[in-house]
Amino acid sequence: MQRTLPPTSIRCGEQSFSRAHPRRLFAAIVIVALIAAGGPGIARSAPSPASFQPTGATANFAPNDPPGEWRRQAHDYANTRYSTLDQITQENVGRLRVAWTFSDGTQYGHEGAPLVIGDTMYLVTPFPNIAYALDLSKPGSPIEWSFDPAPTPMAVGKVCCDAVLRGWAYADGKLIYNVLDGHTIALDAKTGKLVWRIKMSNVASGATMTMPVMVVGNKLFVGNSGGEMGVYGWIAALDVDTGKELWRAYSMGADDQVKIGPDFKPFYPWLRGKNLGVTTWPAGAWKHGGAAVWGWISYDPLLNMIYYGTSNPSPRVPSQRPGLNLWSSAVFARNADTGMAKWAFQFTPHDQWDYDATNENVLIDVPIGGKIHRALVQFNRNGFAYTLDRETGEVLVAKPFGNINWATGIDMKTGQPIINPDKRPKLGVEVPNICPTDIGVKDWQPSAFSPRTGLLYAGIFNICMDLTDHEQSYIAGTPYDGMEMKRHAGPGGNWGEFMAWDPVHGKKVWSIKEKFMTMSGALATATDLVFYGTVDGWFRAVNARTGAVLWSQKLGSGVISQPITYLGPDGRQYIAVASGVGGAAMVSAKMKGFPARGNTLYVFSIDGASLETSPGFKTTQSTAPATIPDSSNTSRQ
Amino acid sequence: MYCKFSGYGWAALGAFALIVCGPARAQTRAPDEKPLAQPAIPPLTPPEGLPALIPLGEAAGAYALDLPDDVPNLLQGQPGMVAEGHRRFIEMNCAGCHGYDAAGAMGPNLTDKYWRYGGTPVQIFKSIYEGRPGGMPAWGGALPAQEIWKIVAFIESLGGTYPADFYHQARQGDHQGELTAPEVMPTISATAATSAQMPNRPAADLRK
Repeated sequence: MQRTLPPTSIRCGEQSFSRAHPRRLFAAIVIVALIAAGGPGIARSAPSPASFQPTGATANFAPNDPPGEWRRQAHDYANTRYSTLDQITQENVGRLRVAWTFSDGTQYGHEGAPLVIGDTMYLVTPFPNIAYALDLSKPGSPIEWSFDPAPTPMAVGKVCCDAVLRGWAYADGKLIYNVLDGHTIALDAKTGKLVWRIKMSNVASGATMTMPVMVVGNKLFVGNSGGEMGVYGWIAALDVDTGKELWRAYSMGADDQVKIGPDFKPFYPWLRGKNLGVTTWPAGAWKHGGAAVWGWISYDPLLNMIYYGTSNPSPRVPSQRPGLNLWSSAVFARNADTGMAKWAFQFTPHDQWDYDATNENVLIDVPIGGKIHRALVQFNRNGFAYTLDRETGEVLVAKPFGNINWATGIDMKTGQPIINPDKRPKLGVEVPNICPTDIGVKDWQPSAFSPRTGLLYAGIFNICMDLTDHEQSYIAGTPYDGMEMKRHAGPGGNWGEFMAWDPVHGKKVWSIKEKFMTMSGALATATDLVFYGTVDGWFRAVNARTGAVLWSQKLGSGVISQPITYLGPDGRQYIAVASGVGGAAMVSAKMKGFPARGNTLYVFSIDGASLETSPGFKTTQSTAPATIPDSSNTSRQ
Repeated sequence: MYCKFSGYGWAALGAFALIVCGPARAQTRAPDEKPLAQPAIPPLTPPEGLPALIPLGEAAGAYALDLPDDVPNLLQGQPGMVAEGHRRFIEMNCAGCHGYDAAGAMGPNLTDKYWRYGGTPVQIFKSIYEGRPGGMPAWGGALPAQEIWKIVAFIESLGGTYPADFYHQARQGDHQGELTAPEVMPTISATAATSAQMPNRPAADLRK
C-alpha cells in the first residue's frame, strides 16, 4: 500500500538532498542548541552546534520504496537506514510512548528488523525461526498467521554466537528468510504457506545460516555462517520464484570457484594473481578456511554490483595457516547477475584476531580530493573505518574509530595495516590487552546514514582481550577455533559508545559513552533524529547533529536489534524495535546489571496513540494463535 | 604430543583409522580393564583431498551403549588422568564449545550442578559417547573409551558432577544431599498400586 506523506515531508531524490532546506536546518540547529543546554547527564563529546557543517556525502535511496513502509532490513539497497518520515521531531520526540507490544516466546538474541509492507508487519524469531504476520489495521496488531519451519535442534549447537537471525526479506508477495539449520525458505506473505524450501548447507558440518536475505529484483542473495567452525564460505544467488540457485561464489579455492575471471581487477597489486584463494594457504587448508558470508549485502543499481564482506579465516589460530588467507576478512564487489568478481579488498591480511569483514557496507557518494567518489564505508571489526572507492576498491580514507592497539595505522600505498608486533597472538602464551577484542570495535550491528548531515551513526565497542592461542584439530561439526580470551573494557571502563562519523575526513564528530555494549542498529530520520539501543535495555533518540540525548526508554531486555520507522494505516508515524538480548552481547553477560533474555517488540508513537485509542475495541481480532516454540529447544544459553 | 599428519603418510592414516575408529566403535571397555596402549590422537589437518578424518558430527544417539548405571570412573581424581582429560578437552575442540574454563559458551556449562542429561560419571560418559540433541557430536566413533573416561575425570574435577550411586536421584533433578521431592518415588509406587485396582482403568495404562 502506498501511503501519502504529510505535506511537510521531504522527498529524497538522488544526490541533491543534503542542501535541500538550509533555512529548515538552521531552525533545527537553534532548537538543538536549546535542548542540548539542558540535556540528560550522559557523558558525551560534541561539536558546537553552530559550527556544524554537513560533510557533503549523499546517497542513492533506490529502490525508493514507499516512504511509509519498511520493505527491506536496511530500508534501501545502499544500506542507509534513513527514513524521510518527519512526524516525530526534535520537539515532540520526548513524548514517545509505547503504543503496543508483541512477545514471540523465543529466548535467543533478537537481531532483526521488522518489515512493514502495506498493512502487515512481518517478524521472524531467532531459532526456531518462527515467522509472524501482524495485522496493523486492527487494534493491537493481532496475528494474521504464523509459520514454524521446525529446524533441527542440532543447529543451536553449531552456531558460535547464539542462535540468532539478523533479518528477513520481502519480495513479490513472499516472505523469504534463512533458517538456522541451513535452509532458505519462502512463504506466501498473505497466507503463511510454504512456497519453497531449499537446503543450502550441511548443518552437521557446522555451517548454519544467520544472515538476512537480501533481495534485488527477482534475485535474492544468501550466504553461510560458521567462521568459527571451519566452514567453506560462500554467497549464492537464488531465484525469488522457485529458489533455484543461479550462481554460487566461494570465498576460497581456485579462481573458478571464487568466480574470479578476466574482469577481476583489484586495486592493489598484492591482491592480484592466479588462484590466490588456494596459494595463500597451506596445502588444502582453504577447504576449511571459513570466510563465511554472514552479514550484510549492499547493491548499487547503477553499477549493477553487490558488495559484501567475508568472515575471519579458520582456524582462528593464525599459526596453523601461514599466508594472506585470501579471501577471508575481505570485501567483494560482484556483478549481481553473473556473480563474477570485479574487485576485492582484504582489510586484515592473515587475520590473527578474528576481525571479520562482514559488517555493513554503506554505499554513499563522497567529495574527496575535489572529486565525487562513488564510495562504500565499512566500520571494520579491526577498528578502522574505511571509505573505499566502490568502483575500484581503492582505500580513500582509513582511520581508527575507537580504541585500538593491534595496528598503528594504515599504509595508504597498499591499504594494509601497520601491525604492532607486541599484539600478535602466541601459542600457549597469554598476550595481554589486545584492543579490540575478537568482536572488534564494531560488530554486525548496522550503522545509519543521514544525507542531511552527511554523517554515519553507529553503535561501537570499547573492549580489549587477553589472548592465549591453542593449536586446533579440524573435526567436522566442532569449533575450529583455538582462541582463549578474557575480555574487558578498554580505557574509560565503558563497554559501549554511540558515535557520529564523518566518512569524508575520517573523524568522529560526537560520541555518547555507554556503560554497556551498544550493539543495536541505528535509524536516522529526516527530522535529524537518530535512534539506537543499549545492551542493558535503554532505547534512545538523539540529535543527529550534536548527539544530545532527547529521549530514553528502558525496555524489558537488552536491545541488539534494529529500530525502524513506518506509517501505520492510521497515518501515524511509529518507531519499532525488538528487545531481547543475546548474540555476541553475551560476552558481557557477567556485568552487574546485565539483563535477562527477552522477546518483545516495542512499538512507539507520540503519546502512545494508536488504533487502540479509538473507542469500541475490547477483544482481539486475531485470526491465528501464537505458535509455541518448543521450550526444550530454547532453554539453552 | 599429537602428530601432524604430513609426517606419517598413508600408513599412519590406516593405522589411525584402525586404532581409533575400529575397535572403539565395536567394543566399550569396562573401566576396570587394563587401559589400552595410548592411542594416536587425530592429526591436525586432513591432507589434501580427504574429508574430515574423524567420523564425527553424526546424529545424536548413533551409537548404543550398554553400561551399568552406577559404574564409577576409575580414573576420577587421578591427577595425571585429569590433566590428560583436560588436554583432550582442548584438543578435541570441546573447549571451543563449552569454553576454555568449561563454564559454557556455545555449549552448556559443565562446572555447575545443572545437568540436562545427568551428572554422574556414566551419564557424562554416555553424553560424550552417544552425542546429544542440540549439537553435541557422538564421540564414541572416534575416541576409545579410555580417552572418554579421562575427559570425564577432568569434568569431575570441576566440582559440579554427582557421585556414581546418585544416578536415579540425579535423573529426577535432585541435588546431592538435598532431595527436592523425597516423596516422589514412594508416591508413584503407591499410586501405581492403587490405580491398578481402580475399576474401569486397567493397570497397563499406567505403564504406557
